[in-house]
Amino acid sequence: MVRLSRVMLKEAGNAIDKTLSEILVCPLSKQPLRVCEKTKSLVSDTIGVSFPIKDGIPCLVPKDGKILEEDGDASKAS
Amino acid sequence: MRRINSLYGRNGILKRVFEKPAKQSHAFLASRSFSTEGGYGGESQQNSSSSRVKIFDRELKRRDRAAWLSRNKNDTFVDAVAENLLDRLEDCKKSFPSALCLGGSLGPVKRLLRDRGGIEKLIMMDTSHDMIKSCRDAQDDNSIDTSYLVGDEEFLPIKESSVDLIISSLGLHWTNDLPGSMIQCKLALKPDGLFLAAILGGETLKELRIACTLAHMEREGGISPRLSPLAQVRDAGNLLTRAGFSLPGVDVDEYVVKYKSALDLIEHLRAMGETNALLQRNKATTAAIYDSMFATEDGTIPATFQVIYMTGWKEHSSHPQAKRRGSATVSFTDIHKQFGGQS
Repeated sequence: MVRLSRVMLKEAGNAIDKTLSEILVCPLSKQPLRVCEKTKSLVSDTIGVSFPIKDGIPCLVPKDGKILEEDGDASKAS
Repeated sequence: MRRINSLYGRNGILKRVFEKPAKQSHAFLASRSFSTEGGYGGESQQNSSSSRVKIFDRELKRRDRAAWLSRNKNDTFVDAVAENLLDRLEDCKKSFPSALCLGGSLGPVKRLLRDRGGIEKLIMMDTSHDMIKSCRDAQDDNSIDTSYLVGDEEFLPIKESSVDLIISSLGLHWTNDLPGSMIQCKLALKPDGLFLAAILGGETLKELRIACTLAHMEREGGISPRLSPLAQVRDAGNLLTRAGFSLPGVDVDEYVVKYKSALDLIEHLRAMGETNALLQRNKATTAAIYDSMFATEDGTIPATFQVIYMTGWKEHSSHPQAKRRGSATVSFTDIHKQFGGQS
């Protein structure tokens, strides 16, 4: 059902559903992502970028990524 | 990244950049660098040092396309393309448990899927959040486990070898880096996975192209191209092989859609999310020229849409491979003798 993924979200308490968590990787580095419950985002540790999850839908577009570290390199690949 | 200048150069093309619509919620394109002041090819020259020419402003495209496409539920042309694409699944004996559907016309694909292809898990992806949301909220009687994701085809966030099938209906012709997107699709496929795509071909809207050029010449005394770069059929095969797909297949279909008038056509293009702001500016002249040049006897005007369907498989040991040169054991003379002397 279309609503199935939402039900899974509520029950599991995870930010994204299981199917996606198995296949999603960072769009820029192609490395696995870490789910961060606190900020409701997916974090790519290799490049230090976090991608938001809006309304249960992960937004893995490079432009939506937020740089986590505060070092000088603020260039977001697009 | 590969240079795609040669591919796009063939149509002598231009740039389409989306602009935020003023009052309406549909998509407008402003070809900023292609106005007569800016000069043709201004921006692409700046970018020629990088290996990718940024032709489409994907950021703007994300926001604007969603609303219109979701409202137009019964677009027969888009449905026909989706139906044709999905039909090919029935031709395969294989079933595809997990499928990724890339943006373009997501709605029709989801709606018309039914039970084809043995799909158990469907993942819908688009660059626009609104589009995905409206897709999720649509009332479709699909019992397939569907997940939604916002992502860019040029930066596919899918792990290697993780999906069995990738479908893209009328979406890839919006990418700046089509070969790159296709390569990423190939990587995301499992071995013996299938890639199915439908893109608009070079013959699309040729009547409109002519009318626009003439209108522009009349009004502004120059030629500024207005329709986005579209692949030619001969390029499609190359694209598939370059991406590394095995058993590539390309076929073309031409749909001639009849409209009551040229203005109706322009409205329809807006509805599909495919127009250009310069088109809007010279709309009246363009429409007049179009009507006078191409009207048929019953007063309707035709518009050609050429759709190129591409299929490719991710290599697998079961696929037939071409033999190495010089390894032949039978010569043509022998075959000729065997099958009689008819040439």
